[in-house]
Parts: sequence; C-alpha cells; structure tokens
Amino acid sequence: MSRHDVIIVGGGHNGLVAAGLLAKGGRRVVVLERRDRVGGLAELFPTAGRLRESVIEALRLREHGLELIRPSVRMIALRDGAAPLVFHADAERTAAGLGADGNSYVDYDAHVRSLSGFLRRINGMTPPRLDRPAAGDVLGGLRLGKAFRDLGPRRARELTRALPMAAADFVRDWFTDDAVCGALAARGTLLTEMGPWSAGSALVLLNDMAEGDGGAPGETVLVRGGAPALAQALRAAAEAAGAEVRTGSEVASITTADGAVDGVELASGERIEAGAVASSLDPRTTLLRLLDPMVAGPRLRWRAGNIRARGHAAVVGLQLSALPEFRGVDDPSLLEGRIVAARGIDELERAFDASKYGGSSERPQIEAVIPTVSDPAASSGHRMLAIVQWVSPAAGPDDVAGMLMAELERHAPGIGGLVTDRWAHTPATLEEEYGVAGGHLLHAEPALDQFFAWRPVLGMARYRLPVRGLYLCGPGAHPGGGITGGPGENAAHEIERDLA
Amino acid sequence: MAERYDAVIIGGGHNGLVTAAYLARAGMKVVCLERRHVLGGAAVTEEIVPGFRFSVASYVVSLLRPEIIRELDLGRHGLEILPLDGTLTPLENDHLWRVNDHSRTIRELRRWSLSDAEAYEEYGRLMVHMARFIKPILSVVPPDQGRLHPLEWLSLGPLARRFSDLPRRLRDTFIQVMTMSAADFLDQWFETDPLKATMSASGIIGTFQGVRSPGTAYVLLHHYMGEIDGAYRAWGIPRGGTGGVSLAIASAARSLGAEIRTEAPVARIDVRGGRAVGVTLESGDEILADNVLSSADSRVTFERLVEPGVLDDEFMADVRRFKFRGSSGKVNLALSGLPDFTCLPGRGDHLRGAISFSPSIEYMERAYDDAKYGRPSRRPYIDMIIPTLVDPAMAPPGHHTMSCFVQYAPYHLADGAQWDDAARDAFGETVLDTIEERAPNIRSLIVGKQVLTPLDIERRIGLSEGNIFQGELSLEQLFFNRPVPGWARFRTPVRGLWVCGSAAHPGGGLMGAPGRIAAHELLKERGKARWRR
Repeated sequence: MSRHDVIIVGGGHNGLVAAGLLAKGGRRVVVLERRDRVGGLAELFPTAGRLRESVIEALRLREHGLELIRPSVRMIALRDGAAPLVFHADAERTAAGLGADGNSYVDYDAHVRSLSGFLRRINGMTPPRLDRPAAGDVLGGLRLGKAFRDLGPRRARELTRALPMAAADFVRDWFTDDAVCGALAARGTLLTEMGPWSAGSALVLLNDMAEGDGGAPGETVLVRGGAPALAQALRAAAEAAGAEVRTGSEVASITTADGAVDGVELASGERIEAGAVASSLDPRTTLLRLLDPMVAGPRLRWRAGNIRARGHAAVVGLQLSALPEFRGVDDPSLLEGRIVAARGIDELERAFDASKYGGSSERPQIEAVIPTVSDPAASSGHRMLAIVQWVSPAAGPDDVAGMLMAELERHAPGIGGLVTDRWAHTPATLEEEYGVAGGHLLHAEPALDQFFAWRPVLGMARYRLPVRGLYLCGPGAHPGGGITGGPGENAAHEIERDLA
Repeated sequence: MAERYDAVIIGGGHNGLVTAAYLARAGMKVVCLERRHVLGGAAVTEEIVPGFRFSVASYVVSLLRPEIIRELDLGRHGLEILPLDGTLTPLENDHLWRVNDHSRTIRELRRWSLSDAEAYEEYGRLMVHMARFIKPILSVVPPDQGRLHPLEWLSLGPLARRFSDLPRRLRDTFIQVMTMSAADFLDQWFETDPLKATMSASGIIGTFQGVRSPGTAYVLLHHYMGEIDGAYRAWGIPRGGTGGVSLAIASAARSLGAEIRTEAPVARIDVRGGRAVGVTLESGDEILADNVLSSADSRVTFERLVEPGVLDDEFMADVRRFKFRGSSGKVNLALSGLPDFTCLPGRGDHLRGAISFSPSIEYMERAYDDAKYGRPSRRPYIDMIIPTLVDPAMAPPGHHTMSCFVQYAPYHLADGAQWDDAARDAFGETVLDTIEERAPNIRSLIVGKQVLTPLDIERRIGLSEGNIFQGELSLEQLFFNRPVPGWARFRTPVRGLWVCGSAAHPGGGLMGAPGRIAAHELLKERGKARWRR
C-alpha cells in the first residue's frame, strides 16, 4: 500500500492539470487512469488549445512541448446554395463579408467580449456558498460586484437579461440574416441538449467565448501535433512537478473510513491510501458507481441520479486522401478553423427537436476541423474530426458516420470518395470507452439549472462532495467543459486550501 | 375646457381599476379611461351568444392578491369566488382525475403508480413552501441592477436572507424551479406521463415555450402562488365570470371616489418639457393630470401613445426588443347539454373542475414544436372548464357554457399566413376535433360559438400579439428587466408617467399586484403616508 496526499481519479486533461498544480505545491499526487493512455475525451478534439493562460504558465506547458496554433479564420459557415460565411479573428474583416449584417457585427463582437469577459471572471472563481456566505465569499462577491459595476449600467443590465435567454433571441437582437444568426448561435447548442430557442443557450454561447480571445465567432485554438500532444505535455508537466501518473489503473471504488475518504481500490484489488481523492470523472459515475451506496446514502444517490447528463453528440473521424473541396471555398486556408453548416435558426432547432423524441436529426448540426490545414505535421494525410448532433441513443457508429457523410456531400460533393478510413463514437460508445455516464461530453448538461454555484448540484458546487476528502475536479464542476483546464485549476486551489 | 385630475389611468382592466381604487382611497382625484364599452380588459364577461355569458378571455382566478380583496373589501362589492374542484385528464382508454380532496387524489394516483402517490404529497408540501417563500417577491419593487446602488439592493436583502435561511432542500428546489424545464423538474418526482403532462401544462400557459423548455418550471410556481381564503393552490371561478372581478374592483373604486369612463379611448399621452401632463382622447378631449398611469402593455404605451422623439432611442430599442409572441387562443362554446367523455361517461363531479387535454409530455411538446415553426398545434393543449356547473346563472336553464383555453396558436404564422377568417375557422375546427376525440357528442351540443385567435385578442382586448401576460414571462423578462431593463420600478423616463399593468413586475395572471404596487409607489412619491402595507 502506498501513501499519497491526493489521488486523482481519471487522467483526462483536468485530472492532469489538478495533479500538476497540487504536485507543484508540494503534495504527493498520483493520477490513476483506466485506459492505456492519458488525455481522456480531449483526444477527440483538435481544438483542444483553449487552455487557460494561467494553467499554461503555472505548469510551464510550453517548456513541455505545448505549442498552440491560432488560425486567423476562426470559423467557416457553409451554406446551402450560397457562398460560405467566413468568421475571422479580426472582426472588421468579418464584417466586410456579412453584407447588411456587417454593420452590427463589430458592435456585437465588442458587446459579447464585454459580457463574456465577466463570465471569465466568474469562471476563475470558486462559486460562493449560498447558505452561510463566509468572509472569502463576501470578498469574492465584492470583486464580482465591482466587475459587474465596471460593465457600466447598460451592459450590466444586458448581462442579467442575456444569461437566461435563448441564443436565437440573443443573436436576433443584432442580426437579420438567418444564416448569420444560425452560424453565430450554433455554439450555444453544441454538445448540449438545447436548441437555439432554449432558454440558457445564450449562457452556453457566452461561456464559449469566455476563455481566450473569444469574441463573436468564439475561440479556435489548435494544439500543434494534435490532441495527443496536449496529453503528452500535460503528463510531462505533472510528472516534472512530482506527480505520479499511472495508466492501465482502473479505480473500482473509493474507500472510506469513519465517513471520510481514505483512498481507492483498483480493479486489480490494489489499494492506494490518501486522505483526499479528487475525481475528474463525471459526477454521476463518481457518486453512484465509485462511492459505496451505504456511505453515499439514499438522498445523495437520489440527487446524483437526477443530475442531467444525457449525451446526444457523436464524434466522427475521417482519414482523407486529399483535402476536400467545399463549394464556394476557393482558398484552402479558409478551412484552417472550424467548419460548420450555417443553417438558419429554425433549421438548427429542427435538428435539435429530434433529440426530444429519441431520434436523430434528419439533417444534423456538424462542427468539423481539419487540423492538417494549419498543422501539416499533425498527421500523415488529411484528417477530419467532426462533432455530429443530435443523435439517437440507439444510433450506431455507422449510422452517425453516415449522417456526417450525407451532410458533407451536400457541401463537398465527392468527399465520400476521399475517405480511406473512418471511425465514430456514439454517446453509447463514448460511455463505454471513456467512462463518462450518458456519453455526455461535458459531463453534465451546461444548462441554467446546473451552472456556477449549483453545478452539478447545490451543495456540491465548490469541488467538495458530501463525503469528507472527496472532490470533483472535472467539467461536471464549475466552470464546466471546453478543455480549458478550469475545473482542474479551481479544484486544485480548493483542495490545497483544505490540505493546508 | 380641459378637466383636471390628480391622476389619469389608461385602461380599465383589472390592474388599472386596482390602481384607481387605491389612489382614490388615498384621496386623489382620479379618472380611469377604458376604450371599450365594457370594463375588465382580459378579465371581462360578455354575452356573446344571446342568453349565454362568457368569461371571454381570462377564465379562472387564483392569483388575485388577498390583500387587494381585503383592503378594497371586494366581497362587499360583489366578488364571490366559487371553487373549481379538480383536474380531469381524459385519455383514450382511461383517465386521471385529481381533486381537492387530497386522500381521494392519492388513491387515484395509486392506481397509476405507488411511488407517484407517495411523491405527490411531498411535492405538494414542497411547492407550498416554495410559494410561501416566493410570495414577498410579488410585492417588491425590483432594483435597477445597472446602478447597483446599495439602497436599491436593500429591498432584496431580506429575500437573500430568507434564501440562505431555507433548509438546503428548499434552496435546491428554488434554484431548480427558477431554471429547469417543467418536464425535467417533474421527472425528478414522478413517472406517470399524463400526470406530468397535466402538471407541466401550467408551466407553459401564456408562454412561447414548451414543457421541456428551460425556465418553465418557474411558471409552475407562479400558478401555485394562488391563495383563496388562505388555501394555496386553490383555483376558482368568480360568480358572474371573470368580469365579476373587474366589476367588483370598479365598484370599490367608485365607492372610494374614483371616476371610471368607458368608451373613452385614449389617443395620446401628452408630454410637455419631459413631463406627462395628461392625455388626449380619440374624441379630441383633453384631460390634464399630474400623473398618468398606463395599464396598457409597453408596446401600446410607448410605441403608440407616446409621440416619437419623446423617449430616447436606447429606451425605445429596449421596448421593441421586449418579446410578446402570443401563443394562445380561446374557444367559447354555448351548449345545449354537457359533454360526455368516453373515458368517464355521464354527468358527474369530474366535469366540475378543469378538464385538461394533456395526455403525455410528448403530446405537449409536439404541440409546442408546431408553434415554433409558425403553425397552430395540430393537436393542441386545451384547458377546459364548464362554469355553469358551479354558476348556473351564466346560461339558460339546462344549458351550459364551456371555456376552452388553447395552446398553441402562434401570433406569427409561417409562410406569410395571416389569422384571417379561414385560419380562425380552421383553428376552431381543430379544437373541436381534439375535444371530439374524447367527448364525441360535443358538436351536437353547440348552440353558439366564439373563437378568438391571438390576433382577435390583440384587436379586441388590446394585448399586443395576443400575449395574455402583456409580454412573455420568460426569465430574461422578469423582475428587474420588466418591462424595460433598468425601468422596473413602475416609473418611466417621462416624469409623471407610470406603468401599472401586467407589463410591470410581477407580471400577468390576474393578480392585481402591479396595479397595487404602482399606486403605492406613486403615493410614496407624493408623500401620502396614509398607506399601510
């Protein structure tokens, strides 16, 4: 039996971030990853570069090989029968290509930067206690209050108005062209169980813009070498800081003594002792599978069971023999960012409707990236990774790959002939392969009812779970998903406070 | 020669009348101006078919503030609320019938699910707790979140304290209620589909949302806040229809010295030097007043009654952004007998409450999906009551009136379609088809019929886009954002111009609350200390 200060369950990017920061602070940390490699779900996303600067610096990730690529084209939105809409990092340049809506684009960009800047502040803090606010909470509250006031009266009012809104209403306040609205609102629905008309999707949208440079089209940052490079850099940094990282080590249960955590037991039977266990797994798995039901108790289990985490997104990978030719795209550098289908708001909503009745969208929403456009060394030949939603729980890998190909054919006829290999993950296989309950890529629905001081549930929103010594450090906790390292960093801070 | 008043109130709906009553009670010389020949706004009773009187629009009462009933002595002025007992959900081969008699309801639920029967009691207690907690919010004047002046936020202090004093369980529930969809919220408690569907229906009434839309659990609570004779969550119908409520308030107002005029449509709010000085009627007559209070919605008040150029562009942009999106229609029927439901045949007590066409969550959600894309629901949600079973005087002997509130009927139709006569007829037929599936004899009973589309509601009652709450009760249009962000304190940028209708906090639902708070705010400003809360 070995003795550590902190055991991190799950070697996804948040677990590695937490491990690295705690180890840097002198704690004896071990990361236990079930699979044969670390990185978790992040390996599915080439745009895994939205890590917080504070995390990159604290862990010296650049010294460990992390190199970020920031394409000047953030997003290209393909339209049926019309030229695509191109969203550059430069707002003015984007505005020039948007026709009449270009007039409001620059202002919209400034507006959302301001609002999402406030969210960034919220994301950097541990949520306050809502029962007995402590001195630290009041201080945090005052800082937040000042930041709120600094928005100015108009923007402050706008913020309270915007947060509970539907993304569709939010963008329609500014733009008239349906394709523009759809392209801009889409990120408010990605990886969620929300459509553009769902209240709370504006929050998702603004949060998406909160980290990094953001702005109207959202941030797009690729990791040179692909997502495996991110995992490698994080592992190297954690180990350099003194953390132990073990793969092939599945945690079967969290052990307790006298109502407090005292370690974990692996599937192999090996026991590892520690006074603190931080789970970067999703909260349902953590509380319902890893924790002894007798220790958890019926009430905690009921609350955990009610955490909403139903995944409807599939991820499809294509190996391509050549770069696809998209209609209306004559310059391949336009493909260096995210590739989305610019459907109108109602079309997007219709795609979402299917998820309510257990079906797959007739025409799915897709967001694809071809990392080799901006990072030729990322792989041999061209690869495309795409998120496809909304898919039925019954859909198989072939079904979802088929959905993607059908949609891509509309925009890049003949692309089917370029595919030399393909793989696909459905919510079911995501659950199986990555251990995330419900196959929800964000661990828990990022809706208003699972936000900030009540994410994933009220009373468990400060990284501490209701069993002493047990913590949550993955995206099931504030500030949620998006490969930012945010939850890991925030949780590490709180764990360190408790250990000190 | 212009007449002179201390206050002129635009609109003789229930809120305008409430405001008139309270201001008159404080000794002010007030006149209330109603466009139509009949008072009440949406709370109005009219004889649409000879011999049959209908609550044309609003049809039940539960949320009318008890302090208003008490302070204006409405009982003495004719207000009598007759209890509406129960909700029946007719299904193809079964039914779900919940009544005020708690143990009977539990027995009925046991028929469906033992765990639901158990959960129902707990749920009911929880919602009553929530309602008690939230109740003070109904009387608060929301602060301006843009200014963050400490004094303004003081009003929220007690509420925040109450929140942290709540047991953790209730704090949890409060946050959920404010953010979840009605369906998701109920999914945590219940498994019986028709039960969840019927309960969640109250979460979408008057909204352009579906039962699965986040933010609808809140409206579940909004409708739970009713108090009749001290019992929460009891709904009733006023004797004489909802017009009876308005007439009682009008009688009280008159007895306190208020002047009320019908057929007095206002054409313009007169503003001079940034100050409201009175109104001009469509007839050309001018009425001067120190204060003008509008109980019309914000679009009517600011876009129609105030001249362009008076209010700044930013304010007007916010007014234009306020969402209305009416989603409901009404079908009022004069019947020669009672509907016979195949799932529960014959005349019985099951007809004396509400009859809810809400068989499943999917049914409710698909009804909403249709509306999202600009079509009336193919199979709509219907909330039906037969008032004559408790108030027989509303129809000739042996005859009945039936009131059907229908969702969804979106104001904005797809593909350039309009709510013309053909569309109205088709809508009416869809409603009858839906009813007929459960009560096949319905068409044979019809002696007269009135179908109100959202356009009809807009034209007849003056509610923009036919939205029954004078603007959606979506989360971003509540509290400090209602009716305009930064202008939630019943005042407007024009000095002396106030809002006192459902456009203001706490919104619609036949509460009378906005009317009362507005009056209080005006009196406070005038330093009239006769007010006691």
